Amino acid sequence: MIEEIQRHSEALAPRFDGYRRRALAIGLIGIAATVFGYLTDHQQFFESYLLGFTYWVCMPVGCLGVLMIHHLGGGRWGFAIRRMLEAGASTMPVMFILGLPILAGMHDLFPWTHTEAVANDEVLTHKLPYLNSTFFIIRYVAYFAIWTAMAMLLTRWSVQQDQTQETWPTRRMQILSGPGIVLLSLLGTFAGTDWLMSLEPHWFSTIFCAIYILGMALMTWAFMTLVGVPLSKHQPLDVLLTNERLRDLGTMMLGFVMLWAYTSFSQLLIIWSGNLPEEITWYYTRLQGGWLYLGYALIGFHFAVPFLLLLSSRVKSHLRILIVVASGLMFMRLVDLYWITAPAFRDHDGGVLQSVALTPHWLDLAAPIGLGGIWVFFFFGQLKKRPLVPSNDPRFDYGALAAEAQEHGHHG
Amino acid sequence: MNDTSTGNGAHGLMAEFETPDELLAAAQKTYGEGYRRLDAYSPLPVHGLGAAIGFPQTNIAVISFICGVIGGLAGFALQYWVHMIEYPINIGGRPHFSGPMFIPVTFETTILFAAVGTVVALIVLNRLPQPYHPVFNVPEFERASQDRFFLCVESTDPQYETEGTRSFLQSLGPVKVSEVEA
Amino acid sequence: MPEATERRPYDQPTEELGPGQTSYTSITDKITSVVLTPHTPIQWFIVVAIGLCFVGLLQIAIAYLLYEGVGIWGLNVPVGWGFAIINFVWWIGIGHAGTLISAVLLLFRQKWRTSINRSAEAMTIFAVLCAGMFPVLHTGRPWLALYWLFPYPNSMAIWPQFRSPLIWDVFAVGTYLTVSLLFWGVGLIPDFATYRDKARNLLTKRIFGFLSLGWRGSAIHWERYEMASLILAGLSTPLVLSVHSVVSFDFAVSIIPGWHTTIFPPYFVAGAIYAGFAMVLTLMLPLRALYGLHDFITDRHLDNMGKVMLVAGMIVGYGYFMEQFMAWYSASIYENFLMDNRMFGPYGGSYWALLTCNIFVPQLLWSKRVRTSPYLIFMVSMFINVGMWLERFIIVVGSMHRDYMPSSWDMYSGTIWDWALYLGTMGFFLLAFFLFVRAWPLIAIHEIRTLLPTGKKH
Repeated sequence: MIEEIQRHSEALAPRFDGYRRRALAIGLIGIAATVFGYLTDHQQFFESYLLGFTYWVCMPVGCLGVLMIHHLGGGRWGFAIRRMLEAGASTMPVMFILGLPILAGMHDLFPWTHTEAVANDEVLTHKLPYLNSTFFIIRYVAYFAIWTAMAMLLTRWSVQQDQTQETWPTRRMQILSGPGIVLLSLLGTFAGTDWLMSLEPHWFSTIFCAIYILGMALMTWAFMTLVGVPLSKHQPLDVLLTNERLRDLGTMMLGFVMLWAYTSFSQLLIIWSGNLPEEITWYYTRLQGGWLYLGYALIGFHFAVPFLLLLSSRVKSHLRILIVVASGLMFMRLVDLYWITAPAFRDHDGGVLQSVALTPHWLDLAAPIGLGGIWVFFFFGQLKKRPLVPSNDPRFDYGALAAEAQEHGHHG
Repeated sequence: MNDTSTGNGAHGLMAEFETPDELLAAAQKTYGEGYRRLDAYSPLPVHGLGAAIGFPQTNIAVISFICGVIGGLAGFALQYWVHMIEYPINIGGRPHFSGPMFIPVTFETTILFAAVGTVVALIVLNRLPQPYHPVFNVPEFERASQDRFFLCVESTDPQYETEGTRSFLQSLGPVKVSEVEA
Repeated sequence: MPEATERRPYDQPTEELGPGQTSYTSITDKITSVVLTPHTPIQWFIVVAIGLCFVGLLQIAIAYLLYEGVGIWGLNVPVGWGFAIINFVWWIGIGHAGTLISAVLLLFRQKWRTSINRSAEAMTIFAVLCAGMFPVLHTGRPWLALYWLFPYPNSMAIWPQFRSPLIWDVFAVGTYLTVSLLFWGVGLIPDFATYRDKARNLLTKRIFGFLSLGWRGSAIHWERYEMASLILAGLSTPLVLSVHSVVSFDFAVSIIPGWHTTIFPPYFVAGAIYAGFAMVLTLMLPLRALYGLHDFITDRHLDNMGKVMLVAGMIVGYGYFMEQFMAWYSASIYENFLMDNRMFGPYGGSYWALLTCNIFVPQLLWSKRVRTSPYLIFMVSMFINVGMWLERFIIVVGSMHRDYMPSSWDMYSGTIWDWALYLGTMGFFLLAFFLFVRAWPLIAIHEIRTLLPTGKKH
């Protein structure tokens, strides 16, 4: 059976190489444009680059989280996408390198790096033990070190599981995943605080990072759908990624769309009704002028439309609709992060209510596209490395499944 | 009650089976034979049984959705009307139209209407409560809610013909075939 | 496939159904035997007697409250909300596990839910009834509460304030109770039919016949029934999230430090699930022993419930952590004072007890041995029951007793009437639950039947 999976998986390699070539071409063009942007407007470059980074870093971290949930839960959907999740999580070092320019641009991005401003600001002085450049860099390295270590361990054990009938790799993956998911959430929280919340260092919200983490998971489900639907037509995943399993992916997207809406709405309602000066400023800028309409677009296309489409299982069974919804959600995640990050740069005074114009820059698209191309290139590189279906997991028998599918195929 | 008395007003003939799979296979065969007025009875939901006796997909979901939309609109309209039209009053400096604060009640009424609509639809479409039904006349039928599975061909079926139908049902290998008094 | 047979031994999850149950007949007989018998275990009478005593206490507490007014409670000026809100939140949280088990686990196709969903739903309904008593009674004049709470045209031409979370509560809890009753009732119909057909006593037969609405198990009915159950589950899932979120809004939309924080909705929901599962175990373990239901509530159930508690507990822990971290990060002197006071102030002991009950002790649940040991998991559940009450105590009293002006600081403690009312609702809960167990199907029989190999869905 393993040899068969191996053979089928290898047969798909040319297809993956095709994806890689295209992704690399798009990525390099995007990066070239972004570099050009740096030469013309380096402030805007860093802002757009941060958007691209905080967007794409969701992929490996989200994949790692969903992978751990799979190891703990062990549903059949997990076996269908486990290798994709592992490939996603394995790209962690790539994101580490791609994120380094953020460290270089700290001074342009984060007001709390301006020592003279911090000295005159009681609030920022109070936060100095956490919000200072050295610790920020240490944390950045630490997040990626721990994430990478966890991703590498899970991937390695998964490969070892393929090769042995023993159950110790399975056990180890489960043992790591329990505390792993706790650690991942905590690190995600600090990362969200560092990279997004501290852009407006006076502002704080206890649920903010949870929204970011849920967004990571949502993006992961959307991306898994985008990769999974074409793969479902080929061996070896055809028997696993049945229409029912693909619909499950749609259901997961539905669930996380609802969770995103729920947490985002909770934050809005609580801050809006409290109306405290230290909190409401964040929403004040985002509920003015063009930003308000962008907010409405988020309600419509990050929640209402995908929600209604995914609600009906009949609609969900149309793979084309699933693809459209998943692509739409990928794009809306970017819009959401744009809505979170961009207004912050228009208001560096902190704590002052002001309206800012919605002025999108071409770099806001170029940077995410460039980073995305590179990331997708490495993702398929990783996906190519291992058979697409894990073997020897005691909870799951691919052979029986394939035999059953074949039997059904003979029946008609 | 395995007698052969053939009251003209019989409700139909009922075959008794021991497992869901037997019932499902029998239902499919009976439907394939051309019988259309049939019903199957089981102590647990059997997947695909409705389809086997030719029941199209139920439309309860549509009813729930419509009820939910009505509920949401009604809840929102109530709040809008109360705070914008009927008695606008400034409390704590909040705007008359406090959009985010109207969402919780709107949400709850959506769910309330949808849930009530679903249950009412379930009861009404199933024609419940219905304390009397001819199938209860078969003494063995009390096991339909415990551990036995029944298939009933009703006498209104154009193909129904007491002896022929009985022998057809016998050929399906049931525990027993009984006539259902009307 | 030779590989499939050569598997190394691995801890496969225990079956949802114990070895004693092999046929539809045995399942039906075993479950109906709890109700359709003249024999009642002596323990049942003891519990019901205790329940009745406390219901008597409840009646006295309510009567004196209505006679004398809410002044008999321990409320004072900085602490304007006391036991009433604590107990309201505690009870409503307990209810959430029932909905989670019956709805959310149905959507996740978790088969193990089938043997506990019915009693957990019953628990939901009784817990919501207990919860509902407090807000109604705290108005002091409950007979007037109707027009304070419900929007209907009245002679004073005034309407409820829809911008107030207290009115959202009315809608949320009202909807929750209604939908839970509907879900419960729909599930009971086919089981009532079983009892009707199984009963030998004519009166019993008539009663269950009436309740079963003439259910006859028609395939077409089942088809609609399954769809309706799925829809109700789909509706209950966001509903259960919304209810405790709305409860958290009672606090969070205000601007009191300790209450006004954005993590409250999900953190309250997780806390509710946490408390609810603890209560399910608190009730189910003795019940299992009493009626010998070991085939229906297996190690698998304990293990899974332990895992759910662990996850919920970790989310609650995340909430505690975020409150602390963001209080520091906010650099707000009020937030910082509050957290300092919470840990080291006059109620500091309660806070550390809370952390012990809700965070430290439940870490035992990481061990499978603890999760599958009835005694140990029961003990952990008791800690959580207490811990979740303390959590609400800390949130309510801890945040209010020292407000912005030190001259108005005060201490709060419940009076004997506060405790009487609280213990009284516990008695009511116990009584209602045990009456339910004796008279109605405590396990969803028709769903249990689908666990047998021949009944499994493909």
